[in-house]
Amino acid sequence: MDKPSHLSVIVDLSPTQWAFCAQSTAPPGLPLQTFLSQLLAFLNAHIACKDENTLAVFGAFPGQSVMLYSSTGEAMTSTTEATDPNTYRPFKTLDSTVMSSIAERFNSYDVTEEEEPIGLVGCLTKALCYINRTISVVSASAQGTEGATRSIDPRILVLSVSPDQSSTYIPIMNSIFSAQKLKVTIDVCKVFGADNVFLQQAAHLTGGAYVQIERTDALLQYMMMSFLPPPAIRQLISVPTQDRVDFRAACFCHKRIVEIGFVCSVCLSIFCQPVPVCSTCRTKFPIKTLQRLNASRPLATTPSTPGTPRPLTQKNGAALPRPG
Amino acid sequence: MPPAGRRIGDDFVDDSDSDVSITGLDEEPSRSKAKGKGKAIDRKKKDQGKGKAKDQAYAWEATYTRSWDTVQEDEAGRLEGAVQDLIARGRRRRLLAPAAAIRRTIIRHLVLVLDLSSAMMDRDMRPTRFDLMLQYAREFVTEWFDQNPLGQIGIVGMRGGLGERIGEMSGNPQDVLKAILERHKLLPNGEPSLQNAVEMARSSMSHLPTHSSREIVVIFGSLTTCDPGNIHDTLDECVKDRIRISIVALAAEMKVCRELCDKTGGQFGVAMNEGHFKDLLFELIPPPAQRAVARTGGGPAADLMIMGFPMRLPDTSPPSLCVCHSQMKSEGFLCPRCLAKVCDVPTDCDICGLMIVSSPHLARSYHHLFPVKPYSAVMTLDDTPEPSKRCHGCAVAFKEMPSTMLGASGEGMSFYGRYRCSECHNDFCTDCDVFVHDVVHCCPGCGK
Ligand SMILES: [Zn+2]
Ligand SMILES: [Zn+2]
Ligand SMILES: [Zn+2]
Ligand SMILES: [Zn+2]
Ligand SMILES: [Zn+2]
Ligand SMILES: [Zn+2]
Repeated sequence: MDKPSHLSVIVDLSPTQWAFCAQSTAPPGLPLQTFLSQLLAFLNAHIACKDENTLAVFGAFPGQSVMLYSSTGEAMTSTTEATDPNTYRPFKTLDSTVMSSIAERFNSYDVTEEEEPIGLVGCLTKALCYINRTISVVSASAQGTEGATRSIDPRILVLSVSPDQSSTYIPIMNSIFSAQKLKVTIDVCKVFGADNVFLQQAAHLTGGAYVQIERTDALLQYMMMSFLPPPAIRQLISVPTQDRVDFRAACFCHKRIVEIGFVCSVCLSIFCQPVPVCSTCRTKFPIKTLQRLNASRPLATTPSTPGTPRPLTQKNGAALPRPG
Repeated sequence: MPPAGRRIGDDFVDDSDSDVSITGLDEEPSRSKAKGKGKAIDRKKKDQGKGKAKDQAYAWEATYTRSWDTVQEDEAGRLEGAVQDLIARGRRRRLLAPAAAIRRTIIRHLVLVLDLSSAMMDRDMRPTRFDLMLQYAREFVTEWFDQNPLGQIGIVGMRGGLGERIGEMSGNPQDVLKAILERHKLLPNGEPSLQNAVEMARSSMSHLPTHSSREIVVIFGSLTTCDPGNIHDTLDECVKDRIRISIVALAAEMKVCRELCDKTGGQFGVAMNEGHFKDLLFELIPPPAQRAVARTGGGPAADLMIMGFPMRLPDTSPPSLCVCHSQMKSEGFLCPRCLAKVCDVPTDCDICGLMIVSSPHLARSYHHLFPVKPYSAVMTLDDTPEPSKRCHGCAVAFKEMPSTMLGASGEGMSFYGRYRCSECHNDFCTDCDVFVHDVVHCCPGCGK
């Protein structure tokens, strides 16, 4: 229980969304400045919790993903005070490194241009690459003792303000599965905006918490209470659990988020409408199926549509009575 | 164990025999050999001239040189020379693999046939062939469902000259595992009958829809089979039904086994020792590429299926009746079409008949469809105006000077330890190259 933990924080830094957030009145919004100062307080708390705790901060900027800070010294800005090797990981290094790299990016933006989608996938994959490397180093240095291979409890915290980008469905799912393999917990803190389908699934599948902030002025308290304790301790304290998990997916053809989809039996690609040829694996579907699906579509809401194809008639399957 | 470590471990095995396994044909025996003698790699390189037979690990020999576990940990500590060789191997294999998306049969149906004849009590594998088979079969089922979430497995045993139905076809891993959980119910006795077992497996798959694959995997420890009729007739029927038969033999190669596999497009292998047994079995887990099936006549017909992605209710929600068992429950999944509550997915909605699957189930197989293009090794920095100082993935610093420590088989490796994505032109370190292609399946630079 008393293990050091690694935290990778992914901060959504979309200027447009933060502008919305700052202007919002119902629910009351939060300016980026206030958010960052609360975030830094939280990050300081994490490294102060235990001497061996490690931290990495990634920024998801429009079309970019950047490592803003890491406690092992990979992301240092040119500022002289921040690169002083004799300083013992002071809060100051963290604060100034994070703030100066954010300011650097923000100054370079052209306000007139349309904003690209934020680099959330880049941040997730980079965080995983970073965790993958640090885990292997730790397990090598701590080999011999039983169970030492997991001496670091890695987790990722995503602070999100942007809506879902359905184009990133597959990369996000791939990142979730690799996080599962590495036993990395993904926590999601939705600071502003509507529920995020993919991030809900990420938290659910990796055993993390998905917290939708109801009062932005209490952000720091939310973070301290929910995300500061490592997952091992969370069993003892009551961290807000997820209410409902939305398992919707994005279709491959229009990147729409769908709840009922048409799925290729060969490659499992999802389409939002019946298509004659699978665009992924080039499989041609039988005309009969298409006619049947098209015919049943307008009626799809009525439960007893005759001819609704049921290719896998496995009434048994999961419907078997199970013990308990 | 981190997956990267496991992968490296596997490659290490190939590596120690770089001189004999070039053709790939004798790769299997050499793999097993290296498993047993993992640690002895340096010594072996010296006395390679002393003949192959001497190096051949017998199962009993392998028991006291089981050091592959330690070897793996060494690698994480960067033993440059040997490690680079094996990473190079993995890279080359990846470059050889076709870049285009292969069509794979993803809705699979498999019958696992277990040999429960008295030959399985043999102790040449530890503790016995039988116990080892049970243990691996359980691991196989778990891993198989992980990679084929919409598939189904049935279990058939061969015992006393008969085929015995041990587990019905089921898509629930727990049901399948329960069937092979109790050792005392499966105790071996008598002769096996390959024909009876295959016929039984065939009949349990006869009703399946045309777009699913049908496979039989046999674990066969005996050297005889006691059949009521001509097994070649059964073989012809299987070919006609497009059933793919794969056999993992524990004793020796039998002609009829080889024939069953070859004619149906399956795989055949004889396990040399415990580790090799597991390798052979686990090779059958990833969804087979469609062209392997095509050889036996077109493969299963493709179809477009309608599926619903549900909403999951937490166990804190107010209890209500489920439509599948009519029980009061809090947790469950809501059918997106009729909003009925079902207990578990994947299933067909009992009210409207919609197939309900959780979308992560489907997404788990997408990395087969959209693999990351292999990174190219950076051989010189002369044509790069401003080489990045750090890996684009994990931000580790690159070496300033080219390395001179590459082994003999280090071709395809970068002297600078840099690998470049052809899409986004970012440089990655060796660790991230492996991790991105084997685990994440998504390039951190371009997100593809
Ligand atoms: Zn679409
Ligand atoms: Zn397809
Ligand atoms: Zn039920
Ligand atoms: Zn329904
Ligand atoms: Zn790297
Ligand atoms: Zn790339």
